Amino acid sequence: MARLCSVSPERRHLLERVGAIAAASLLGGCRGAQMASPQALGTEAAGVSPTGPAEPSAAAGPSSVAATPPVPEGAAYLAVARGPSPAAITEAAIKAIGGIERFVKPGYDVIVKPNICVAYYGPEYAATTNPEVVATIVRLCRGAGARRVRVMDYPFGGTAADAYVKSGIKAAVEEAGGEMELMSRVKYAEVDFPPESVDIRRWQVYTDALKADLIINVPIAKHHGIATLTLGAKNLMGLIENRPLIHVNLHQRIADLVTLFRPQLTVMDAVRILMAHGPSGGNLADVKQLDTVIASHDIVAVDAYTTRFFPFADVDKVGYIRKAANMGLGTLDLDAIKIAEIAL
Amino acid sequence: MESRASQKRAQRVPLLQRRLTRAVVQALFLFAFLALFVVSAVRSADAGPARLPFLLDPLVVLAASLSGRAVLPGWGWAALGLALALGLGRVWCGWLCPVGTVLDAFSIRPRRTGPRPAADRLRFAKHFVLLTVVVMAALGSAFLLFLDPLSLATRTLSVAVWPALNYAFGGAQAFLYRFGILQEPLLGLENLLRRAVLPSFQPYLRLNLLVGLIAMGIVALEGLGARFWCRSLCPLGALLALVSKLAFVKRRVKQNCISCGRCERICPTGTIDAGKAYESDAAECIMCLDCARACPVDAIAFPAAQAPAARQPYDAGRRDVVGGLLAGTALVGLFGASSERHDSQNFLLRPPGALDPEFLDKCIRCGECMRACPTAALHPALFQAGLEGLFSPLLVPRLGYCDYSCNRCGQVCPTGAIPPLDLETKRLWVNGQAYIDEQRCIPWTGDGQCSVCEEMCPVPVKAIWLEEVEIQREDGARFTVRRPHVRRHLCIGCGTCENKCPVSGEAAIRVHVAGAERLQARLIGSGRGRGAGQSQSGERAEP
Repeated sequence: MARLCSVSPERRHLLERVGAIAAASLLGGCRGAQMASPQALGTEAAGVSPTGPAEPSAAAGPSSVAATPPVPEGAAYLAVARGPSPAAITEAAIKAIGGIERFVKPGYDVIVKPNICVAYYGPEYAATTNPEVVATIVRLCRGAGARRVRVMDYPFGGTAADAYVKSGIKAAVEEAGGEMELMSRVKYAEVDFPPESVDIRRWQVYTDALKADLIINVPIAKHHGIATLTLGAKNLMGLIENRPLIHVNLHQRIADLVTLFRPQLTVMDAVRILMAHGPSGGNLADVKQLDTVIASHDIVAVDAYTTRFFPFADVDKVGYIRKAANMGLGTLDLDAIKIAEIAL
Repeated sequence: MESRASQKRAQRVPLLQRRLTRAVVQALFLFAFLALFVVSAVRSADAGPARLPFLLDPLVVLAASLSGRAVLPGWGWAALGLALALGLGRVWCGWLCPVGTVLDAFSIRPRRTGPRPAADRLRFAKHFVLLTVVVMAALGSAFLLFLDPLSLATRTLSVAVWPALNYAFGGAQAFLYRFGILQEPLLGLENLLRRAVLPSFQPYLRLNLLVGLIAMGIVALEGLGARFWCRSLCPLGALLALVSKLAFVKRRVKQNCISCGRCERICPTGTIDAGKAYESDAAECIMCLDCARACPVDAIAFPAAQAPAARQPYDAGRRDVVGGLLAGTALVGLFGASSERHDSQNFLLRPPGALDPEFLDKCIRCGECMRACPTAALHPALFQAGLEGLFSPLLVPRLGYCDYSCNRCGQVCPTGAIPPLDLETKRLWVNGQAYIDEQRCIPWTGDGQCSVCEEMCPVPVKAIWLEEVEIQREDGARFTVRRPHVRRHLCIGCGTCENKCPVSGEAAIRVHVAGAERLQARLIGSGRGRGAGQSQSGERAEP
């Protein structure tokens, strides 16, 4: 099961290219593909993980993360900033990994993807990403010359319009010069996934997320009943359709989402984290104030680092982290990378 | 020459009698009605205005107060509606009513105005309908209020028109989106509409076809005569007709009438009678003033302070009173003794706060709640609650879940049938209880992992917990699954689990009514639901 196809498509051309890549992988036998359709997977035991070893042991390294600008000289691979101001630590963490200019070029169309999973609670309940963290990223993008900065999510509980307001994100983002996008039906289309994707071959996804110049993933760290934690990779589920079907093979399919969307920057909101009863929460007693933000181009490293905040979790319990690393989508070796710890 | 002629006519025809004047007023009121309908789903807006049209409707206020055994708060508005009829006759019907306006707009050309045998023979029927409505209300049933024109109009908009409109918009948008130049304007338009006018999700409402066909049928009856509905069937029209007999202002024909018959031919309700010197019945006249405009000699006047209008053969008489009493009593008796009332229906879920059978005493079947529901979870019933429950709202979780952040249905309900629970109370309200079908649930059958129900359960301490079980597959492989279980005491029956369950067909977790009554009783601190509804509606402020 060699994983030789190191594809690094430009984001904006991904849509046009995925078809060709899929065809190439078929012809070249790039890897032993599991060509099952999502529908078929719903009925077989695809989601059941046998207790034997089943993981491919591919070498994982940061270099295999596609289309990400390299870590600049002197900058950290991953930054952890702590302090009382969510805006200040967000800015500091991004600065430590090379600044927003490393990711945003003038004229860019940027999509910021926070976690706005329900319309039920305000930000103090830690069910939705901290609005100040989101707004700071929007402001930085605008400052770096981004043409357009859109913020969006598709809640599973309540309407997006309500959730945008309730989370406090709408007000903060619009003040920062961004726009809230209500995800439109017409922008969903079924697309082929890249050959690195192990289980998902085609899925209905929000095509604007593929057309944008840059996706900045802004998850919040939360407990999750099925996935153990919802972190960066899981946050990408807001960009697809038919989400209940993802759960049939949850961890693998979440890792597969990374192969398609390839967020080039992940900023983990750990200002407040949700220790139990996630992902929707509802108890202030489950909320822990950490005043922390973690940033890196490497979604796997961010997710792996974040598991440290949860005594009940690690990269194996949160299966999609290990799977994504094994697919070469990022690193788990946090000792080998340069981490900047910043206290403000 | 043409312009001079029209100028001359404009000078001659007083403003109120011009065709355009009434058309403009009708359009404005129709627009206001639609605007309030739209507002009912805007969560940030005050719900008071959304209820206003119903409060202006004296039939709704009278009958709902009777059937609910409590004067409807805001009844003062209905007094205004009655005062209007007492002063000016059925101007409501001619100038304000949205159904009348639509019928005028759809009137078959040439309009089937003037006396129409089929329409006129049935004139009495509306009185019979009205009396049956009132008798049933007095006996505690709001059933027949589904015939009230505002109930009819709102239900048609909620269940048939708006979902179809949204569907048409989606289809047109998907088609036009292919053309690159149109994409940005289309998205801009959608952004504008989605926030206010169109729903967030495509509503797939039950009975949309039936409700739409009924509305089309009422329009088609125009073929038998203009304003057939208003002449012969409308119970509100009948009530206003009774009051209009005493109207302060009535139509009169002056001595200079030349008996040309133009007024008789143009009268939309056919109440002008050539046999009685072109006089009309104030109870049937909708004050459209078309006759005054048509009269070549200005022989038609609307003087004030006259005696009550004369009795007509089609007026409500002993026959209608006896008929209404018999029909109303019979229906209430049959409903009361129906098996549906006695037999607990497994999936008869109601909007939060509503408890059967008392709920049906107040529900006028207007479907305002179905419009307000952001997730299209509320649907009109056919016979699920018996014939008595026709068009009353059902919570159908597979089609839409009850949004944990929403209490809009209770706020917009014009009669308090759905009590206006505050959000905290509504979040505690137990609509029903979820039960898992272990024969079909994915982790229970060993077919795979799932637990979507647990993830999406909205209550703070999840009402579903996951049991880790190691099971052995047919081929001997052992693996671990997480099987969901419902925590009975925490489940509120919102149906989010049932809605999101990825199993095809009927969900593998379904909300049943079983057990809900007990929890509701605990929640409201009484053995009966009636008390809860009353105390809640009692809190509603007067407008």
